[in-house]
Amino acid sequence: MARFRTTLRTRLTLLYVSLVCVVLVSYAAATSIFLWQGLLREMDLSLDRDLETVENLVAIMPDGSIAVNTGDQEDVLLLEIWSASGALIYQSGELKGQLLGAPVKKDDPSHPANRSIRLANKMWVRIMTRPHKLGNQSVVVRLGVSESTLREQFDQMVEALALGLPIALLLVGVTGYFVARRALRPLGSMARRARQINAEHLNERLVLENPEDELGHLGTAFNETLARLERSFEQLKQFTADASHELRTPLTAMRSVGEVALQNGGDLRYHHDVIGSMLEEVNRLTHLVDNLMILARADSGRIPLQRGEVGLLELATESAVLLEVLAEEKKQSVEIEGDKSLTVIGDRLILRQALVAIIHNAVKYSPPEGSIRVRVGTGNGDALVEIHDSGPGIPPEHRAKVFERFYRVDKARTRDEGGSGLGLSIADWGVRAHGGQIELECKEQSGCTFRVRLPRNGSGNPRS
Amino acid sequence: MKILIVEDEPKVGNALSEGLQASGYEVTLAQRGEDGFFLASSRSFDLIVLDVMLPGRSGIEVLKTLRKQGLQVPVLLLTAKDSIEDRVLGLDAGADDYLVKPFAFPELRARLRALLRRGKTETIVSLKLGTLEMDLTTRLVTRDARPIELTVREFELLEFLLRNKGRVVSREMLARDVWKENNRATPLDNVIDVHIARLRRKVDDEFEPKLVRTVRGVGFMLSEDERNGKV
Repeated sequence: MARFRTTLRTRLTLLYVSLVCVVLVSYAAATSIFLWQGLLREMDLSLDRDLETVENLVAIMPDGSIAVNTGDQEDVLLLEIWSASGALIYQSGELKGQLLGAPVKKDDPSHPANRSIRLANKMWVRIMTRPHKLGNQSVVVRLGVSESTLREQFDQMVEALALGLPIALLLVGVTGYFVARRALRPLGSMARRARQINAEHLNERLVLENPEDELGHLGTAFNETLARLERSFEQLKQFTADASHELRTPLTAMRSVGEVALQNGGDLRYHHDVIGSMLEEVNRLTHLVDNLMILARADSGRIPLQRGEVGLLELATESAVLLEVLAEEKKQSVEIEGDKSLTVIGDRLILRQALVAIIHNAVKYSPPEGSIRVRVGTGNGDALVEIHDSGPGIPPEHRAKVFERFYRVDKARTRDEGGSGLGLSIADWGVRAHGGQIELECKEQSGCTFRVRLPRNGSGNPRS
Repeated sequence: MKILIVEDEPKVGNALSEGLQASGYEVTLAQRGEDGFFLASSRSFDLIVLDVMLPGRSGIEVLKTLRKQGLQVPVLLLTAKDSIEDRVLGLDAGADDYLVKPFAFPELRARLRALLRRGKTETIVSLKLGTLEMDLTTRLVTRDARPIELTVREFELLEFLLRNKGRVVSREMLARDVWKENNRATPLDNVIDVHIARLRRKVDDEFEPKLVRTVRGVGFMLSEDERNGKV
């Protein structure tokens, strides 16, 4: 359905006016009905009094005829007297032969005591009927009063209400429009400011007039988004800078080794050695590019998980066995224990890559003859793989950053020992892609525990 | 053996051409997809090495057209994209194997040998280099007739080196063929180095001449020759 392309301001005003219109009309209708009923009640009371007076004025003549001593009120009195058997025995002259409704008999339940009728000459009359004893004769007296004045007054009131309604609505509309414009004004300035914020000015924020109101909430949310964007942008810049540095290092090595060899000349053996040294750097570059590719594809969400049931203890054992020789070389002990039946739904290769990276890290940072413990279990309903090393621990200020790309706690660590600096980042991504996370706990001088926490049903949503 | 190389980057093309000529192949080099297609359909080759990213006509297109014409020659694709879709695309187009750039030259040579050997079953029961002998059925390894105890992994490593004796094998080849590790990001280099060191202790330490050689920057080789063998 095509929508009216109107401003929020106009839509708010229209909505407001329609609501006020409905409320006013209902209110006027209810008031009128209530008022009309009140007026009728009052009329009936006065009719009752009048009837009593008239009853006292009615007399039966010796000849059996009926006389009403109305004095000078004769001309306004609308009076009928019926015999018990239903015969009209008196009618005041003012009625000019018209009946006040159908003929009545005594105790006739089909005639309510009070009602409004319309005479043949279109006049509305309120009538009251009741039995009366005239001497020893039972009669029915029916008295009517014209409703004209009442109806005229009521109609005037309704007219006044009907006339006032559009004026009231117009006023409501105009004020509503201005109120809406005033309330929405900060939105315009926010939009203008937001338009000026771009990649170069990500540190700017929206100015909020009142952070507590709805527009303030919107602005705050927008500012938070900006903060996240700024952070990602910073990380990207840092990453690009780090990546260039990491790429430049082997390039520099190759260049200088090659240039020096060309300058020195030397025998075949020397040249073999030089070429070998350059090829080592090429291998390093290749590994780096492979890892960067994985991260780039992971970032753009282009690595689909091949989910299946994965036995965690088996996977941890397999990962540890792969790296066992490295631990053996350092005379480290590797212990693996845990629940053999514990499984998660996940991508075996990606989870294995994560565990291999963490265990590799543990072997690297644990001292010779140290111990590495891998424990598989559950906690808080999640599946856990804990890898405990006996390294020197990680200072608190570095802990949050160990999963950042190219981050090395010890900047002086050589590349030979430190690897590409991407292993833990890839591990972190892999676990997050499964809806889990890696927690890091360190104790002074007694090593760190990397705790891989995975949702057991595997249905967890990836955490970004 | 005649090999056609279709590769637009001159340095890579020339290096491959020279390397394969030195290995005894007869090599023709084409730098454009069209030229490659023309050569492949007009002359007969035993094998084609085809780059995917070519100017003009892509390697995949060339390959598809060749296969449509009924050309059965084995084709090895060189691709810079290491993603599953690209591999599937290449294999679907009719490639027999693929290699992701940058690749190690020994690996390329090993793949070519495997492709050329395809279909010819060989039943080798024992491998031998100098006084080092390996019986594949009894899994017994001896040097100077003295038995050598090897772990399963060491045995597989030595078997692979023996099958490629006199040729350099790269760490990537060992990771894939001995460790069966397809993920290039798995940090296996140190693991391989340790295993090679252990193998060397068992096979070489008490014997002469030394057989297990490290070729710096490339990989390892099993050879009786004192000098560094050809890559």
